[in-house]
Amino acid sequence: MEIIEEKENDTAVFKLNGRLDSNTAPEFDDKISTSIDNGVRFIVVDCQALDYITSAGLRILNKTAKKLKPVDGKVVLCAMEDYVREVFEISGFDTFLPIFPDMQTAMAQLKTG
Amino acid sequence: MAAGKISLKLKNSLSETNRLFERIQAFGESQGLDRRQIFHLNLVVEELFTNIVMYAFGDDKTHWIHISVSHDRGRLTILLEDDGKPFNPVALKSPDLKGPVENREIGGLGVHICKELMQGMQYRRVGNRNILTLTKTLDRKAP
Repeated sequence: MEIIEEKENDTAVFKLNGRLDSNTAPEFDDKISTSIDNGVRFIVVDCQALDYITSAGLRILNKTAKKLKPVDGKVVLCAMEDYVREVFEISGFDTFLPIFPDMQTAMAQLKTG
Repeated sequence: MAAGKISLKLKNSLSETNRLFERIQAFGESQGLDRRQIFHLNLVVEELFTNIVMYAFGDDKTHWIHISVSHDRGRLTILLEDDGKPFNPVALKSPDLKGPVENREIGGLGVHICKELMQGMQYRRVGNRNILTLTKTLDRKAP
């Protein structure tokens, strides 16, 4: 699992490459938490190269959404494979995590509504 | 579609998940499953394996977890066996899937995903062992 973070002011993009599971979720959790502690309020998770996600990965996204809600922040996802999206849907996560088809749309929608 | 079976014996350690993933991946490919089917198979097996590792044992000893996956003409059967505390995932309630994010609890989500992705789930306690069987008939591939 490779996690690439790009940060600009209060916005961070996390590119996930590989498998987000019980072994790699703690690293992702640390990176996101540090980022929020350093003032990030808007997060895009780029899932284009994400091959695999388990409930351990979903747990981190749930935690992040909970943390950002009271500070009027937001976490959104983009560019995921259909079969990864299915897991978000059956978990009911698509109701509180917006999922966009690509990075451009995600960035455009990040600070609206 | 072909027929085949793999049997794995894994220690109760999360470090085993990489080997588990690779073996399931290779098995799925050998059986001609598509990427989505292999992803779902890996996810189900890993969720249940992780639950066993994290919650089944109250001691520091090494325990062996037996997992087998068999495939016969589109019919998948997963079997997991451990000597941990009795735990019946079939009886586990689904988490809240609709409320606002503040109310979402993540407990039970792994088992919920497994129930959604598979069709049958049967639990038996035999002696000191948990035996869980999951079944699914795969969608026929598009021509």
